[in-house]
Amino acid sequence: MSAITMDAPDAVAGRTEPVLRVRDLHVSYGSTAALHGISLDVHAGETVALIGANGAGKSTTLRAISGLLKARSGSIAWNGKPIANRPPEEIVAAGIAHCPEERHVWSGMTVEENIALGAYLCRSKEEVRTRMGMAFHRFPRLRERARQMAGTLSGGEQQMLAIARALMSEPRLLMLDEPSLGLSPRMADEVFDVVRAINAHGVTVLLVEQNIHNALAVASRAYVVKTGRIAAARPAAELRGDPELLKAYLGG
Amino acid sequence: MDLFLQFLTNGLVVGVFYALSALGLTLIFGLMRVVNFAHGEFYMLGGVVGWFATTYLGLDFFSGLVLVALAMGGFGWVVDRFLIERVRGQGEEPGILLTIGLSIFLVNITLLAIGPAPLKVTRAITEGPIFLGPVTITKMRLLAMAIGVTLIFGAHAIIHRTRLGSAMRATFQDPMAASLAGIRTKQVYAATFALGCTLSALSGMLLASIYSAQASVGGLVSLKSFVVVILGGMGSFPGAIAGGLLLGVAEALWGGYVATGMVDIIGFLLVILILVLRPQGLFSIRAERA
Repeated sequence: MSAITMDAPDAVAGRTEPVLRVRDLHVSYGSTAALHGISLDVHAGETVALIGANGAGKSTTLRAISGLLKARSGSIAWNGKPIANRPPEEIVAAGIAHCPEERHVWSGMTVEENIALGAYLCRSKEEVRTRMGMAFHRFPRLRERARQMAGTLSGGEQQMLAIARALMSEPRLLMLDEPSLGLSPRMADEVFDVVRAINAHGVTVLLVEQNIHNALAVASRAYVVKTGRIAAARPAAELRGDPELLKAYLGG
Repeated sequence: MDLFLQFLTNGLVVGVFYALSALGLTLIFGLMRVVNFAHGEFYMLGGVVGWFATTYLGLDFFSGLVLVALAMGGFGWVVDRFLIERVRGQGEEPGILLTIGLSIFLVNITLLAIGPAPLKVTRAITEGPIFLGPVTITKMRLLAMAIGVTLIFGAHAIIHRTRLGSAMRATFQDPMAASLAGIRTKQVYAATFALGCTLSALSGMLLASIYSAQASVGGLVSLKSFVVVILGGMGSFPGAIAGGLLLGVAEALWGGYVATGMVDIIGFLLVILILVLRPQGLFSIRAERA
């Protein structure tokens, strides 16, 4: 399976201008190259999945988009504006939220504090309160646990908290990294229901997920990432219906 | 019994300054994980700048205190942005070497500028004793202690009640999550370092108004502050206060009943005891750091 390089890797490109356009993105950890030219498009309102084996570069791609990692070369454009190598606070302010792998809630702070800090860049206390009300409305279980330390929550609750926190910046693009990691199948289903609901509210979603079945069930399109490159871009339904194809891409 | 109360009072007064100074260190050492060997020099500079402000510039004590806070806060900020930032995230050793170097530099610059003689900070009020039953305490000590307590409460309010404080706690628990929430973590680190530096320096000026400021005092202050932080628990706010008071009282009692000449040994005895019996310190904040 040779890597496919494409100028416009998006199978449905041309429909609209993509809100997020990544071209030939190279990222290295020190002297070790992790991404060898990733190109992808995300259109407004879509849910796009990045799938691939462990260490393929999916999380690295998200971390470069959100400004946690520097791009060595290549471009990232958000609504036509270049955002590569901007600091994370500018990316959040521009409307891209990144919910990181392993949740990274502040375990020694209360659920309430965790959620409130998600709106750190919002200077209006009034507005933060309104958004918190919405978060608690969406996640009633978090309201019950508002005063509890985040570290005392179950894995599923922590994931919900991490998503609630990311939504507090009112993003137009939500990047989710392995939201079902370490969760029971039932809890994972709940998380994906939430992802669907968020997407239905008009938030564009870029999803990284090991659980291919779940990822393809929630996404409309998927990119297969292999050793730091995009190996394929396909509608999710097409991949779902063709296990042989998937196997070929993911190396069984 | 009367003598005991007097020793206890003396110990508590000194303990407040130990606590204030250790608070500065616990922010930098306990939360930021910078083993700050220049801590004592920040304390020393507080006394020296206080002396400069009250004698050379002719400021009154309180204006001098404000000047020390501003100057040393700015100094701490610059030290973090230009020095500490270069070694952040590289483990503890580079920070240790850096702050040892900084400490040597600061001591010698101070010796060069003002010499080794002890310097007096002009006092806020005329000296005079106050009698509280069997206990005697000077007015200046009482005032300095009151200022110290106020500063401790002020620092607590900054950390727990302000937006900057939330940003600090979030950054030290999980810097990546803090960045993703839009917190400028570099500025939070610098602000914390500045706050720690300011607290040490203010403690230095307050104590210099009772005793004196001297270029060479830093080493002992650093050691004692590390003692307090280890006693109380790394990065713990109540721990720094309890540890400071404990050390102050223990030293006063030891000096009063056992031997004045070996007062400084008591802190190290306490540290050995605590490391054997309760190595996480009196107040563990393991959960808070996660």
